[in-house]
Amino acid sequence: MMDVGLSHFVVVSALLFCLGLFAVMKRRNAVGILMGVELILNSANLNFVAFSRYVQHTIDGQIMATFVIVLAAAEAAVALAIVLAMFRNFGNVNAATATSLKR
Amino acid sequence: MELLNLNIPSWSDLAYWRPEAILCGTFLAALLGDLIGRGRRPAISFVISVFGLITAGAYSVAAVLHGGAAHTIMGDLIIVDGMAAFFRLLFILAGLATVLFSWTAEEIMGRKRENKAEFFYLTVLMTAAMMVMAEARDLLMLFLSMEAVGLVSYVMAGYMRTSLRSTEASLKYVIFGAVSSGIMLYGLSLLYGMTGAMTFDGIRAGLLAGEVNGLSLLITVILILAGMSYKIAAVPFHFWCPDVYEGAPTPVAAIFSVGPKAAGFALMIRFFYTTLAAGADPSASAPLIELINWPLLMAVIAAVTMTYGNLVALRQLNVKRMLAYSSISHVGYLLMGFVLLTDAGLAAILFYLAVYTLMNLGAFFVVVALNNHIKSEELDDYAGIGFRAPWLGTMMVIFLASLTGVPPFAGFAGKFYVFTAVMDRQWFWLAILAALNSVVGLYYYFRVVKAMFLTRPAEGADTTPLKIHWLQYTVLAVLAVPTLVLGFWFGPLKVLADQAIGLLSTGM
Amino acid sequence: MTAADLIFYALAALTLVPALWVVGSPNIVHAGFNLLLTLLGVAGLFAWLGADFLAVAQLMVYIGGVLVLVLFTVMMTRVPQAREADSGAKRAILPGLFALGVLVVLLLVATGTHWGAPALTDAQPTTAEIGANFMTSYIFPFEYVSLVLLAALIGAAILIREPRGTEEDDEAGAAVETAEEEVQS
Repeated sequence: MMDVGLSHFVVVSALLFCLGLFAVMKRRNAVGILMGVELILNSANLNFVAFSRYVQHTIDGQIMATFVIVLAAAEAAVALAIVLAMFRNFGNVNAATATSLKR
Repeated sequence: MELLNLNIPSWSDLAYWRPEAILCGTFLAALLGDLIGRGRRPAISFVISVFGLITAGAYSVAAVLHGGAAHTIMGDLIIVDGMAAFFRLLFILAGLATVLFSWTAEEIMGRKRENKAEFFYLTVLMTAAMMVMAEARDLLMLFLSMEAVGLVSYVMAGYMRTSLRSTEASLKYVIFGAVSSGIMLYGLSLLYGMTGAMTFDGIRAGLLAGEVNGLSLLITVILILAGMSYKIAAVPFHFWCPDVYEGAPTPVAAIFSVGPKAAGFALMIRFFYTTLAAGADPSASAPLIELINWPLLMAVIAAVTMTYGNLVALRQLNVKRMLAYSSISHVGYLLMGFVLLTDAGLAAILFYLAVYTLMNLGAFFVVVALNNHIKSEELDDYAGIGFRAPWLGTMMVIFLASLTGVPPFAGFAGKFYVFTAVMDRQWFWLAILAALNSVVGLYYYFRVVKAMFLTRPAEGADTTPLKIHWLQYTVLAVLAVPTLVLGFWFGPLKVLADQAIGLLSTGM
Repeated sequence: MTAADLIFYALAALTLVPALWVVGSPNIVHAGFNLLLTLLGVAGLFAWLGADFLAVAQLMVYIGGVLVLVLFTVMMTRVPQAREADSGAKRAILPGLFALGVLVVLLLVATGTHWGAPALTDAQPTTAEIGANFMTSYIFPFEYVSLVLLAALIGAAILIREPRGTEEDDEAGAAVETAEEEVQS
């Protein structure tokens, strides 16, 4: 087995990204879908930090990752507020049952 | 640690950024005004928002008249150039028209509605955020500005929070939006890894330096396109669009259909023409196009988008939904200009976007005005409405005819420029497909006109004339007159668009 | 294989194995707690890469903020009897195949790309440098994101506030006011 290097991180993040994508497509619960989104965002962040260390040798990637964390928090706040509003109106959070709009 | 090589922005940078700064200030002032009014005086926020937008608009016009070269400001993260100045005007037009029109829209200002003031200052913030989207020149600002517009739009889509349709619209919007922006972020991270650069220029240099695998780059670009085509609602990331437009309050749908779309185009032009091409210059871009043939990819997306949007629009019986699909097909027309790698193509996009903003906002606003009275957007309920509100009906005819692209309306001039630019670069199959699509469009736009003027209302239906607020007439007239005039007197706008693009190629 | 390598594999396992449960667990609460482990693993990987500030930010913002929010929402929106309909294996086939395809493509990208120079510099504490950058080169996005956070806060408040009927609204107005002060300070 070779020493841990950049490609190891890219592989881990690719696996995490695909698991996130899988969760997004498979889950019906809106919160479950958002968990998948968190996996995707984390995989991208992992890439940014790894590249910042191995490729660019500056801190830019880490700063990007910090902003992504902040925006993920803001997005989660808004998304979960919408989920709660939906729960209040529909009585569940199943993304597939919200079909008051035409196909 | 040394601070010497840090790039510290100076306060004087703000001189190039006045409209945006004013709008950010307007947002805070309107928010404060709402708090002072204890949430019961939406008029305070409304007045502050209108004044802020007008002031910012004045500065934007001044910046356009002043011309001037491109400036990279704020620590080289933002570029203010001719294209940014052009889009500023577009966004302010959309924001101001929406704020003014919403003042009399039942869906926002109805007696039972809450959070009225929030609508105005969120629109102002969205306008500012869209401007930043048109100015981003590195990956951080790209993602940040897209998320900013996204977050505000998610909230505005769910604005009528006790309405099932509105809640569902915002849920769909936020879920698809979060997923597609996550996918895009992953693509951005790969691009960063390949080139070791964050700025668009740096990325192009990294790509040109060689050693980039074409297949990897293709995958990366497809991932990034997921996020961008979501913003402009291009196939296959369009499916949120009809549901969101139908479910969201109509004034919100109106600004969604023009604002974020135009901002998405601005961002895509900046991103693709800086990183994956060397400006609007086919020969200089050749090595990059050899690496990845994204014009062909975009041409296919354009073809599928316009055909799909048109064919599905044919079946729609809800006017808002029909307009949503029609907006998808217009994205297809716009993307045609995007694949050409020429100044003419980009200028055609800008021209078309300006015209599209006028006519699409107008069409949506007529729907708002009618919704105030008949509480419906179904085509059947529009029967004979043209006789109850003749002026409104006439304006709707103007907007729809312009959307169809028949002369002598502005939409025709827009289509004309796109088509000539496409023919110039010999993408004949694309031009033929687009021409066929325009003919299809004639059918479903005309159906609305037919319902309004040629169909008799059901027996016993209300036939009293509708009373339309003077503010609504004013805004509609401001949109309708240019839609008519630009059809034959399009020189000035064309010059403006050419100027904006000319500065773009030299600015890079 | 060095100790550092072993730690990497342990952290990678901590990230990926619970992520499987985030996808597959029929119980959404379990999925939430597994997400906690995944986020912890990512924080560990950040630390492994020498990004100490980011590791702590991940712990505090992601695990302390986002995840708690997610778990609360899960608990507030659970319908008593209705089991989650997510468990059906049939429903997982198509998404699974698609995700697998994407994985193959991404692994091709990961192995087939020339990722710059692999030389590794010594890890330095990053907090001071990140802080200095936020106050200089990145002052603009730093300010801009605070505006975005304020908008997100107001937005969440608009969406979630109880419909207040016709009259009393003082309480809600005050809540937005204090929240705004928090963001600005």
